[in-house]
Amino acid sequence: MYRSQKLALRYFVAAITLFGVMTAAGLLSALYYIDSSLLYNVFDFQMAKILHIDTLVIWLLMGFIGAVYWFLPKELGREVVGIWIAEVLFYVFCAAVVIVAVVFIVVQYGGSNEFSMWFINQGRKYVEAPRWAAVGVVVVVLAFVFNVTATAWRARKMTGLLGVLILDLVPLAVLYLDAFPKITNMSHDLYWWWWLVHMWVEATWEVLIGCLMAWSLMELMGTSRRIVETWLYIEVMLVLGTGILGLGHHYFWIGTPQYWLSIGGFFSALEPLPLLGMVVHAVYDAGANHMKTTNRPAFYWVLAEAFGNFIGAGVFGFMMTLPQINLYSHGTQWTVSHGHFAFWGAYGCGVIAIMYLILQRTRNAPEHFDSRAWKWGFGLLNLGLVGMVGGLLIAGITQAIYERAEGGSTLQAFVVASEHPWFRSAMYARFIFGLVFALGYLALVYDLLTIGRRVTVAAPAQTAPA
Amino acid sequence: MTSASLFATSVALGLLVLSGGAYGVLYTLGVARSNPLLIRTSYACYAGQLLLVLAVCWGSPLASLWKLFIAVSGVAYGFIPPATWRLLETLHHNQAQ
Amino acid sequence: MLVVLAFLTIDSLDASRAGGRHVPNYDVINHHIGYTYDWSRRLEVPVIGPTEPLFGKTYTLQEATDLMSLGKLVIQSRACMDCHTFFGNGAYYGPDLTKAWLDPAWNQIWMPMTGSKTRAEAMVEFLMHPDQYPTWTRRMPNLHLTHPEAEAVVAYLKWMSAIDTNGFPAHFGRIETQN
Repeated sequence: MYRSQKLALRYFVAAITLFGVMTAAGLLSALYYIDSSLLYNVFDFQMAKILHIDTLVIWLLMGFIGAVYWFLPKELGREVVGIWIAEVLFYVFCAAVVIVAVVFIVVQYGGSNEFSMWFINQGRKYVEAPRWAAVGVVVVVLAFVFNVTATAWRARKMTGLLGVLILDLVPLAVLYLDAFPKITNMSHDLYWWWWLVHMWVEATWEVLIGCLMAWSLMELMGTSRRIVETWLYIEVMLVLGTGILGLGHHYFWIGTPQYWLSIGGFFSALEPLPLLGMVVHAVYDAGANHMKTTNRPAFYWVLAEAFGNFIGAGVFGFMMTLPQINLYSHGTQWTVSHGHFAFWGAYGCGVIAIMYLILQRTRNAPEHFDSRAWKWGFGLLNLGLVGMVGGLLIAGITQAIYERAEGGSTLQAFVVASEHPWFRSAMYARFIFGLVFALGYLALVYDLLTIGRRVTVAAPAQTAPA
Repeated sequence: MTSASLFATSVALGLLVLSGGAYGVLYTLGVARSNPLLIRTSYACYAGQLLLVLAVCWGSPLASLWKLFIAVSGVAYGFIPPATWRLLETLHHNQAQ
Repeated sequence: MLVVLAFLTIDSLDASRAGGRHVPNYDVINHHIGYTYDWSRRLEVPVIGPTEPLFGKTYTLQEATDLMSLGKLVIQSRACMDCHTFFGNGAYYGPDLTKAWLDPAWNQIWMPMTGSKTRAEAMVEFLMHPDQYPTWTRRMPNLHLTHPEAEAVVAYLKWMSAIDTNGFPAHFGRIETQN
């Protein structure tokens, strides 16, 4: 195994651990909606939510980085250049995550001064981590980009897939610079913030997961490079063609010009179309192989990725993206429902699929790469997620109707919608399905630790011939 | 927009894309397995999608340009599964050769 | 696509800068802010009315800008966006704050509750001691705001309510049920 691949496995351990922290923080966040006196003035909703959404971003990023470190040496036929830097920075990265989390839990927030921004909490969604940690992330990402490009340079080799990945990493890294500024004007702040968030999850991350899925298809089904690369180019063009100006669907209401309602709505409404193509592709590959594969868990998680992406991002997104609808759905649990489904479908399932794929190459019984536990994990996680999303959708539609369309969006309207029986029941349902999801996580962890390990069986006693 | 039309329009839009997805899945499975029943079911899903497009265009309070856009994209959805299939077949066929 | 986005970015940033066509300058806090339906655009727009001092004072542009800078720093340092939404962006545990300055609850509930003479004073008192003035089972935690910090946040919310958000939220403060 290359050193880079051993590092990949360490990144996966960290990623799965953070997935657990994310789940626990999510359960806690959900609990406040049911019992709002919980930990009042001790550890309030906003801190639980910060832990939940920040670990979401980091666990997925760690999954991506790990996957690239796994595939890169195989792609180029050599060890990654400067791998020792990445090995050191992995531990620095983990330490930084722990420190930031401990400060979030114990200190929580600071005064209105630069010290808070640098060392405690920056308070901008997804990028609350203090600036010192953001600097750390920049260093890790720059080292990662160096590893990838320098290895390609030294190997004197470039593949189409790798070319797309390298071109994608540059904007991905540059966009993170929005994690630093404190801009007084909220309209400007959100304008640039959406460049980071949208151009990550609806552009550069889509291309990145596309590259990782392409590598995975070559590994999982032996699909030829030419086919996956051609498909990757088409996919990237469609995703970026719709996603770049689809950014405008975040610019309807933040104080920017009215033309964004038309431009953003139009391109955003086109975004499901490439996702339909991806679903067709997934079914084609499944059908072509008659659902046979040597790695059933990875195969099913890849299918979950294609379908989850289409339904979570495509269907749920389209339901709420047209401005006339969005005027009422914006800023409600409807958004939360779409966000959970889209993140899970587009990225969560993909990273898990890649982990199973890679594990098969590291276990000592790869031909026995099956278990009961992966099915429990798959079933419970997806059932839990769909249940949560369903609950949040009901809650969100209740808000859109009673708080916004009818209620006039005041505090009173907010309270009325939040006390509505549909909303309250939906929040209970969301929590219960969150527990189902958490059980699925435990099954997943158990399976990732045990699947494909040969179980030694004692040889049967030889009986002497009569 | 009244709350009833908000609810109805958004649900119709979601179902519209979902039925497009069902069409894509069933069409691809049907062609891959040479199963005419699956293919016919996929066309039924697409027909359902077109009905939803009509319902949105006729009954929703969206502006005319948006209705036109939805109508055009409804037609476009019809081409995506067979076009994607042909593309994938061509790619794999060229690779085999 | 990127070229189009670049051009639109330049125009959008210009329109949304303080003093641009969608976003008033910070000294709008010296004026009354309203929100009424514009028939030509068919959506609600903010209306900047006659002089209405904030905290009994009229701010120069520089003073207002400094106040906004502090207000935004408070909002970030206390992670307000992780419970509340601004222009509908953020978290959904607390209410949206886009038009919070215009919310009738300040006059109807918090002014009598806090014994304040003005809406702004009631908001300051609430922000400094939210645990003493709860109105619902879901309560805002005490984030230990100082008096200047609370004033800065109130000023920030007043300025935000004057931003043209293309009609979000719709018919703020008016209940519209179907017949």
